Amino acid sequence: MAGEEFFLGEKRFKQCCEDFVKHSQQIGDGWEWRTSKDLGDGYLSKTHFQVRNRHIPPDLKEKNNDNTEQMLFAHVEEPSDDSQAAGACSTEEVVRYEYHVLYSSSYQVPVLYFRACFLDGRPLTLDEIWGSVHASYQARLQEGPWDTITQQEHPILGQPFFVLHPCRTTEFISAVLGGSQQHHRNTNYITLWLSTVGPVVGLNLPLSYARLAPEQSTAVADRALS
Amino acid sequence: MTDDKDVLRDVWFGRIPTCFTLYQDEITEREAEPYYLLLPRISYLTLVTDKVKKHFQKVMRQEEVSEIWFEYEGTPLKWHYPIGLLFDLHASNTALPWSITVHFKNFPEKDLLHCHSKDVIEAHFMACIKEADALKHKSQVINEMQKKDHKQLWMGLQNDKFEQFWAINRKLMEYPPEDNGFRYIPFRIYQATTERPFIQKLFRPIASGGQLHTLGDLLKDVCPSAITPKDGEQKTQVMIHGIEPMLETPIQWLSEHMSYPDNFLHISIIPRPTD
Repeated sequence: MAGEEFFLGEKRFKQCCEDFVKHSQQIGDGWEWRTSKDLGDGYLSKTHFQVRNRHIPPDLKEKNNDNTEQMLFAHVEEPSDDSQAAGACSTEEVVRYEYHVLYSSSYQVPVLYFRACFLDGRPLTLDEIWGSVHASYQARLQEGPWDTITQQEHPILGQPFFVLHPCRTTEFISAVLGGSQQHHRNTNYITLWLSTVGPVVGLNLPLSYARLAPEQSTAVADRALS
Repeated sequence: MTDDKDVLRDVWFGRIPTCFTLYQDEITEREAEPYYLLLPRISYLTLVTDKVKKHFQKVMRQEEVSEIWFEYEGTPLKWHYPIGLLFDLHASNTALPWSITVHFKNFPEKDLLHCHSKDVIEAHFMACIKEADALKHKSQVINEMQKKDHKQLWMGLQNDKFEQFWAINRKLMEYPPEDNGFRYIPFRIYQATTERPFIQKLFRPIASGGQLHTLGDLLKDVCPSAITPKDGEQKTQVMIHGIEPMLETPIQWLSEHMSYPDNFLHISIIPRPTD
């Protein structure tokens, strides 16, 4: 129903994260919850490695394992040229990605923070990050790079991270949750949101997350309305 | 009240006398003289130090120069924090001029954001303004503005044009007549001693009974250690724009009159000097 906006209260955010982590543990997807020592807030965290071939953009149709094996390496499609394949597997093209999901009380939505570095410790630059955004999103990125991915200070750790801007989150979440598809209302908010924004920056969710049971509290409670 | 408008001007035109010295390990072709500058409290280091950069680059070889960064007593200075906040937080109880060290090498990747162009500063500034309006007005005011209004806010800051800036910013300081203030107050509380860079929470300016919340109420709610005296002695100062506002000040008034151009109240909790 257009007009009704679906915000995520902080309590519900924590509950969704808890359920999300439980499922991640079941399938070995590597997500964990980290609590800050001083104020008791926290965030989701996951680290993984990707082989990045600069000349051929990573393909979204990665072979994501929907099984219990721990996924450490995302596969990329084999390039058609074998000589390029040899170059693609050199160590300097392996990138370590660290993803954090934090809660924004200002926008009342989750926000995706991430940082990336090569194995020798060299961090990726903003240009390299923009260059690695999936081809489907490149047009949108060119249109407004500063509205999309920028470098910002992590609000809990105080270190530089890249951030996917939260401004548009409520718009598209409302579009999904407000639609006639009833079953979406029972989907974990984090699953819904992360499965949409994650792929922009190389983060994919195994399909089994979609079968996450709804949270204990009703979907109606904690919906902040105007 | 004309007095209140004076506060807006005093905040805008605040300056900090600063002495910039080149880091001793930077390789120079001749000796680098220190450079003195009055820094605007409300602006950002990388926005107002073009002359500093030019001055030191004159004595260096081209190949030795990469991205400039600033440090105070070993602490890299975050350019994305307003200058006044950096000074209050790190150096307010030390003798003037503020002594900042200039670096062109070994950029501290783990501490500082990069700032390769003015576009980065503009994007950061506008993102702060948008977040502040999300808190104050659910983004209604900022979203109703045209792109040229957004540009005017940035140009006003960049060119130090008080009237140009406030012609647009006053709209961000309004609220519906039936309310007595903003929905939530945009604020951040900083303490140099914590790993967490700042505390930011939802806080309403008006209590359910209609009374105005004060600065003291905010601190009690969000950072009680700042105002609870240990052993009956107040060990800390609560500082905004170089002064200690009375804790009884309504937070709505502070938000309207003592926010930085990014529309946030940046509040420092610092050790009280013992002299």
